[in-house]
Amino acid sequence: MSQARKPAERYGTTTVRPADFDAFWAAIMAEVGEIPLNPTMEHVPMRSTDEVDVYEIHYDSLDHVRIAGWYCVPKESYLPPPYPALLIVPGYISEPALPKSWAKMGYAAVGVAPRGKLRSNRQFNPGYPGLLMHNVVDRYTYSYRGFYVDAARAVDFVLTRPEVDTSRIGVHGSSQGGALTITTSALRSDVIKVGAAGAPYLCGFMDAAHLTHSWPYEEINDYLRLYPERAEAVRATYHYFDGINFAPMIKCPMLVYVGLADDVCPPETGYALYNAMTCPKEIHAYPCCAHDSGIYWEMPKVEAWLAAQLKPAAYMRHAEPTVG
Amino acid sequence: MGERPADFDAYWDEVDTELARYPLAVEMERNVLRCTDFSTVSNVRLTSIGPYRIFGYYSVPVGDGPFPGLLVAPRYGSVNHVPHHDDRERYATLTLMHRGQRLADQPFAASYPGLLTLGIDSPTTSIYRSIVADCLRGAEFLLSRPEVDGSHVSIIGDDLALITAARRPQFTAVQAGGLLFYRLLEAAGRSSAYPVEEINDYLRTYPEQRENVARTLAYFDPINHANRVTARALLVTGDAGAINGPEWLAPLADALGGPVEQYHVTHEGATDHDWQDAWMARQLGGVPKPRLWEVIA
Repeated sequence: MSQARKPAERYGTTTVRPADFDAFWAAIMAEVGEIPLNPTMEHVPMRSTDEVDVYEIHYDSLDHVRIAGWYCVPKESYLPPPYPALLIVPGYISEPALPKSWAKMGYAAVGVAPRGKLRSNRQFNPGYPGLLMHNVVDRYTYSYRGFYVDAARAVDFVLTRPEVDTSRIGVHGSSQGGALTITTSALRSDVIKVGAAGAPYLCGFMDAAHLTHSWPYEEINDYLRLYPERAEAVRATYHYFDGINFAPMIKCPMLVYVGLADDVCPPETGYALYNAMTCPKEIHAYPCCAHDSGIYWEMPKVEAWLAAQLKPAAYMRHAEPTVG
Repeated sequence: MGERPADFDAYWDEVDTELARYPLAVEMERNVLRCTDFSTVSNVRLTSIGPYRIFGYYSVPVGDGPFPGLLVAPRYGSVNHVPHHDDRERYATLTLMHRGQRLADQPFAASYPGLLTLGIDSPTTSIYRSIVADCLRGAEFLLSRPEVDGSHVSIIGDDLALITAARRPQFTAVQAGGLLFYRLLEAAGRSSAYPVEEINDYLRTYPEQRENVARTLAYFDPINHANRVTARALLVTGDAGAINGPEWLAPLADALGGPVEQYHVTHEGATDHDWQDAWMARQLGGVPKPRLWEVIA
């Protein structure tokens, strides 16, 4: 058994919120706001079904990097518009979701592929491992500066869609997808109505690297073993990208779920994130669960949590109790 | 289940013959960033059929060998991790990237979704013919290493692990879960989750190819390789009644040519990991490395 630890909720964090954190991100969002979205959609008949149309989408993001995604939308013959929108944001090594199953529930669902992911890696491709440490000593060029914006920029894509009810937009993902759920909800708190973040990554970076030897945080340990003199520069950059520091910016209801034996994204950091949130919130913790974060039991709760706010037609039809 | 094609053995013998035409042409380059005081990690490049250069991370514990060997077969996706810290401490570990995956994606970069059905109309054009060859080449590399104890070499993964163990009987043990090719056409009828959904997408688009797809898949269904798997096997099984549940896997378990154990997942990830890790440690003469930790007040 690994080294004994205090209960996760009592760990705290060494993350510090820089005084100019809000200004740093406001400047970045203003910068990307000057870049035309240039959205395109291409129907993909092979992936479409009788219920759902699938499109490959592209849009421009920070540094004029072209970002790809999947857009899955109910066919009008299956469900009439308008639809709530749901962004499904990807894990660190996982492929961006093709979220047909969410569209079948009644969502206009986007599977986001931030820069460096397949189909969004022509202009930026630090690789895996690599993304976590790319330009880590400089917050102005650190990989996640653009990566976070690419996910948030998907909101602008759904705002262009006439079939979307723009008062009902949510975001969901696990691991790095959990991190992107937090950052997107924070950076687009004007429009995001609900979020569900599993096993949130990119929270308490340095605490996590101390607590685990699993990938991807082990990339930090590798890097600092080779370049110990850069530790303070690395730490300083991470403060600007830490989900814990985005947490107070979130306004919508947020569900967080963690595995209390998660060796990839330590539960201590999930609690530090949760404790920093000031929005309506819930946390579900699963003993003996690791990076799965109890998804076997949690997924129905996630679907219900999102549906309570976003009211997708097919899910609500399914979920409403029948009488008689 | 896909019936075993009459030319099944000839098909796979031809793959072996083709592979044997090419030397491994090993390039090993120390990966300074990933090396620790207890393990040395190298980037490895090998030639597979095509010819095509594939990639692996190879980690060897520091100290006097020989060490037990572990081949981590490629997952379905573009990225495979560097060997885990816990494995680097115990085993000479190779994590392999087959053609199309990152670090082995030039000139061919795999699409996800898309890889599963690439060339699927014929067993000779299916990309998986080459991907299996890539795994066999990785096995040949690991089994040839002087620092590896040839009497303790295991493989872990999905169908690719089982097929590799079938074709390279030197493996001591094989641990397999999350099978993709096993009864895949049947699974496609019960699931709309990717990557299985790739089959549904393909057959919706090309319904006339159904027989050809079924014929191709039969060459990769692990049940048709099972009698050649003589290594001790662990099958990781899901819920009763589900795809990959015990009844679903029973024909495969019965067909395997060596001793078979089954582990029924609890869905508690740490519990499941620690049990499987201990099983593998027993096969390799290693020390279990549980990831559950004690919580103190």
